[in-house]
Amino acid sequence: MIKAYVVFGGLVLAALTWTHYTGWGPSDVTEEKVKSVRNNPGSYRSAYGGRSYTGAK
Amino acid sequence: MLDATDPEFRLIAQYEARRVQPAIPLGTRGRLGGEPFEVIGYLQRQVVDEPFTWSEYLLHNPVHGMRWLVEYHGHWVLSRAASGVPKSTKGSVTYQEVAYRHFQTAKAKIVAVSGEFPWAPRVDERAVVEDYVAPPKILSSERNAQEITWSTGEYIEGGAVWKAFALPGSPPRRIGVGAAQPSPYAGAGRPMFLLFCSFLALAVLVHLVFAIVSQQRLVADINAEYKPGTADGAMVISEPFSLSGRTSNVMVEISTNAANSWVYFTLTLVNEDTGVAKAFGREVGLYSGRDSDGAWSEGANWDRAYLPSVVSGSYVLTVEPEGPYAIHWRVRLTRDVPRPLWLWLALGALLVPPAVFLWRRAAFENQRWSESDHASSGSDDD
Repeated sequence: MIKAYVVFGGLVLAALTWTHYTGWGPSDVTEEKVKSVRNNPGSYRSAYGGRSYTGAK
Repeated sequence: MLDATDPEFRLIAQYEARRVQPAIPLGTRGRLGGEPFEVIGYLQRQVVDEPFTWSEYLLHNPVHGMRWLVEYHGHWVLSRAASGVPKSTKGSVTYQEVAYRHFQTAKAKIVAVSGEFPWAPRVDERAVVEDYVAPPKILSSERNAQEITWSTGEYIEGGAVWKAFALPGSPPRRIGVGAAQPSPYAGAGRPMFLLFCSFLALAVLVHLVFAIVSQQRLVADINAEYKPGTADGAMVISEPFSLSGRTSNVMVEISTNAANSWVYFTLTLVNEDTGVAKAFGREVGLYSGRDSDGAWSEGANWDRAYLPSVVSGSYVLTVEPEGPYAIHWRVRLTRDVPRPLWLWLALGALLVPPAVFLWRRAAFENQRWSESDHASSGSDDD
């Protein structure tokens, strides 16, 4: 069990280092491919644009 | 030819039916602890008025004397007469500087006997037996009207007994945890604790190092007023800004003066070099008031989010607020910020194995002591 904990702890520390280094993390961000901002202003408007948001209350 | 109606035959038949066959036949020779022994006697004892029985084998060596091999539920103990009287204190005894905890006291009787003994044991002979344990050691006393005798023993694996006496087959299957059975978790508590402390220190160190060497550079800071139904502040585009360095995250902080209202922000981070856009929405809302229970509040008029693994390059940010009332808002982007969340998650993960270890160790000890007079209490063997 001690050996397993050594391996497990090492993996956790490696994961911590990796997430800190790369800035990785689970994300709810959606990505979309758009044209250049300057060449086509407004084309990067988000997917949320155009709908009517009513809010939670 | 035998006459089944003959009373003598019936007596022999009853004797054969009740005769107990020892798992180790009398006369078997073997080596235990490097010394040769011969099985010369066998006793089966039972707790009076209870169904618990155990076996005791008397071993003999002309030079080293007698030993007892005791078996209960597949758990074996090799014991010998104690060389002195243990010091007794409340709930425990001390023998040769080892403290033993009281395990159980019972009135036992002999239910089967065969072979040779230094005294003449009889079926139904009774004695009060007491066991004290310090796994893998056990200290037992046997008391009757005439005397009290002490013996000290040590747990031995059934496989070792079978090997020592070259017995065919395999030893009886173990049931539960033996009184003197050494815990597989004994001695691992301290290394586990030290490992956890080391991992904890290393995890904090990793976080601190990144907190020091990370850029944590403010790359965009946008302020604006939003008025619903007008073009004012409907969409704000930042000046181009640079995200430099290795691929890392971007922290987005939103603050508003919203009160009893909500604002929904649609934000888009556009990489001017590649045309890749990360579009995402965040909502802030703060409500407060007073009712019969007093003042209350719900939500917040600020928000914080992280964009993971953003490559370096030239970017712009668009912000489109939407809400029922006019508000003042501010959005700030900070490059390369170490997230404390990952440190907390790492610490939580590092706690899991020690927690499982402690739980399993306690479960093992609870199982051991469930057979004792102290079934509700556990034991800490470290």
